[in-house]
Amino acid sequence: MSSSILFVSNERGKVIFLTSRDVLVKSFCSLSNTCSFQDSCRSCDMVDAAKSHLMGTRSNLNIKNLDGELSAGIGEYKIGKNVLLKVMGLGSCIGVILSDVSTGLCGIAHVLLPGASNNGETKYAETAIEKMFEDMVKMGARKNRITAKFAGGAQVFKHMNLDILKIGDRNAISVEETLIKRNIPILAKDVGGEVGRNVIFNPADGSMIVKYTKGEVLWL
Amino acid sequence: MTDLENLSEVELDVLKELGNIGTGHAATSLSKLLNKDVFLSVPKVKIGEIKNLSSEFIGEVVAGVIIALQDLEEKRSGYLYIMFPEKSARKIAGDLFGLEELDEEMYASTIMEVGNILSSSFCDASADFMDIILLPSPPNFAVDVPTAVIDSVVSQMARKSDHIILFETSLSSDSDIEIYLAMLPEPCLLDDMMKILGQL
Repeated sequence: MSSSILFVSNERGKVIFLTSRDVLVKSFCSLSNTCSFQDSCRSCDMVDAAKSHLMGTRSNLNIKNLDGELSAGIGEYKIGKNVLLKVMGLGSCIGVILSDVSTGLCGIAHVLLPGASNNGETKYAETAIEKMFEDMVKMGARKNRITAKFAGGAQVFKHMNLDILKIGDRNAISVEETLIKRNIPILAKDVGGEVGRNVIFNPADGSMIVKYTKGEVLWL
Repeated sequence: MTDLENLSEVELDVLKELGNIGTGHAATSLSKLLNKDVFLSVPKVKIGEIKNLSSEFIGEVVAGVIIALQDLEEKRSGYLYIMFPEKSARKIAGDLFGLEELDEEMYASTIMEVGNILSSSFCDASADFMDIILLPSPPNFAVDVPTAVIDSVVSQMARKSDHIILFETSLSSDSDIEIYLAMLPEPCLLDDMMKILGQL
């Protein structure tokens, strides 16, 4: 396998490794805030386990393979099964994740605007969530098992005189209202603040990884 | 109103020329300000889908200055987006003050002022040479990845269209200074430009 995505976990932490040609190229680790190597991942039991897994040997840590990754552009949504879902570079935008653990179907939307669209455009929060929900159900997800997580809606401007730039809060409120209206349970959220985010969903354990553009990583 | 998806070659050329003249003058101002030679890249005009926007920008954290442009009737004509990669921003601010370290507030307001000067000379040039009046707003400042900075502006434009016109160029100076400049015109700016062209 030339490139694969591994999820490694033990009792201390969890990590996603993106690999290419059997080399670890990128990681999202729940311990990175306290780890002295940070993103460079020189060596630890997780790294060793992943490396030995790539070499074909078994290790005593819990390792799962994911089937690739999907990234949703601005105003799009993507649905997949056992794939890593990503939205990158969120400022005022919101990454909304819907997942059904019982079937493994999950989706991510990159929401740009609050409210609903008259003609089905998925850049609007309400429309994006409803369409993604329906698509997931069509693909076999069970309606009453779908849960939600979302993050984003920052206000990145330190100095600002244009009111239109204050859209993050309205996006967050619109997403939350839509989920409540639809009776979709919200398991986690991380909204507001002044720093942009990358939002990643790990279907192997259902956690939302929020990587702030300034480095900090949260597993929610 | 001009349809962004189907712009003619002429319309794109006019837009490119506006950007060219504007950034040319911005480069001159920057050169005077830093007392250094400033080089200008060949500008590009792209019509892109909003969903692919993130691939248009550099991936590193930038100090971003956003300036809204208005015409005389206070209609929004578009936005100027000036991106200073962090290293360049620190270098510019440091050079202007002759200091290695600046406190954050000073740093932010210096970069905003540089953004202000660049956008003012951009607007001056467009008024002088093309009779297109653009009034710049005071600068808005953020430090983040380029898409995170611009997405609130994009959301405004996305209400009207799924497409966006992006005029992009970069300014650079001898030692590790790089500035990326983008203009995101609203359809009404294109209408104004076409009107003026029609009178020629």
